Amino acid sequence: MLRRFTLAALATGLMTLGGLVHAEDDTIKVGMSGGYFPFTFVEQDTLKGFEVDVMEAVADELDREVEFVTADFSGLFGMLESGRIDTIANQITITEERQAKYLFTDPYVYDGAQVVVKEGNAEIEGVEDLRDKSVAVNLGSNYEDLLRELPYADEIDIRTYDSNIEQDTALGRVDAFVMDRVSATQVIKEKPLPLQLAGPTFSEIRNALPFRDTETDRKLRDQVNEALDALREDGTLTEISERWFDADITTQP
Amino acid sequence: MSVLNVDYMMGLVPILLRYLPLTLAMAVAGMVLALVLACGLAVIRVLRIPGLNGATLLFISFFRGTPLLVQLFLFYYGLPQLLAFLTQIGGITATIMGLTLHFSAYMAESIRAAIVGVDRSQTEAALSIGMTNGQLMRRIVLPQATRVAVPTLMNYFIDMIKATSLAFTLGVTELMGATQKEASGSFLYFEAFITVAIIYWLIVEGLAWFQRRLETRLNEAYRR
Repeated sequence: MLRRFTLAALATGLMTLGGLVHAEDDTIKVGMSGGYFPFTFVEQDTLKGFEVDVMEAVADELDREVEFVTADFSGLFGMLESGRIDTIANQITITEERQAKYLFTDPYVYDGAQVVVKEGNAEIEGVEDLRDKSVAVNLGSNYEDLLRELPYADEIDIRTYDSNIEQDTALGRVDAFVMDRVSATQVIKEKPLPLQLAGPTFSEIRNALPFRDTETDRKLRDQVNEALDALREDGTLTEISERWFDADITTQP
Repeated sequence: MSVLNVDYMMGLVPILLRYLPLTLAMAVAGMVLALVLACGLAVIRVLRIPGLNGATLLFISFFRGTPLLVQLFLFYYGLPQLLAFLTQIGGITATIMGLTLHFSAYMAESIRAAIVGVDRSQTEAALSIGMTNGQLMRRIVLPQATRVAVPTLMNYFIDMIKATSLAFTLGVTELMGATQKEASGSFLYFEAFITVAIIYWLIVEGLAWFQRRLETRLNEAYRR
């Protein structure tokens, strides 16, 4: 399987210089941030993660090529919207607003929102303790919306970040951050940052792949959906999940 | 606080250097195009060419008055919603375009200032011995203006190299984008970002050295 993410941007540039873009029909262009451990991240110049493995399995199933396009998270939906990528594999949560605009596949990840604090912080033991606290969330992620829906949202100092929310919480610049439970657990387990989970999850999250609402993209969405079904049936999704999380996050709890 | 992971930093350098050519290529392309455009804009401003002068003023006002990131997002994500064919513009091209337009607005003003700064008596003297306007510009005004403009133009070039770090927001993995992604995999933020900071710093220092040599050459006639 070709992993051409490093060349993706360059290729896009060169194709432009060459005039008309001849989109390769059988290549699925998948956008991701490359900065969301362990879903999509880079080690030694190689793009890795749960999302990468899932999308490569989907492409295999469809007998098509996959091309990963990495961009800052804040640019991903712009890329989807402007037709530069076909979908986003970056743990995209299904929300009403997004559903109004995009076509989603069936969920392939089930998770919950989790409050994470600096190690030793006994003050915050769950989402109800976030009053008068500063809480970091990723810009463009839906955790900001989840927090704003809380009845006491006015009393929370919500700060949106482009990246590095884990680092700023560990440094004590913010009191907590909110992320999905699965990746939060991974971050704490594998990375040298003094962090701990604060309380249980507070909202169910279902992740799926968004597509533009056009006829061609609807077809592609349906195909990807079938591929996901097949991968779910034959245990590939579970296997990929176990590999990254030691748990199956691809089936509804 | 854990000890600095030097091994990780050392291992990161060759990986990050793979993205240096792209960073430099975007900056050089942006600089060359911006210079050409800025010279045109400066001439329009100096000669106050009717019609074009107003347009130039508006251009400079907009591209100097809005952040580069806003301009990049506007062109790359915003305009394609109105004009579909613009999606064919890739991230690298869009970055170079953004750098060109943004920095040419600044550079036009410093080039204009350099031209206007050449003493008026020089122009009068040149015209009095029968030089044409073209000769006056080529032989008298521009060589002197160049000497004045070089330090500020180099400043913009340095700024432009660093501004390429915004390209990752357009999906271009250059030096900064590569660093951000590597840091997300290792969570060694300090090591990753200090490494890339040193790389940028060394590039700029190299340029500063080149600039000093260039200025010495340009100042030869003025040395006492």
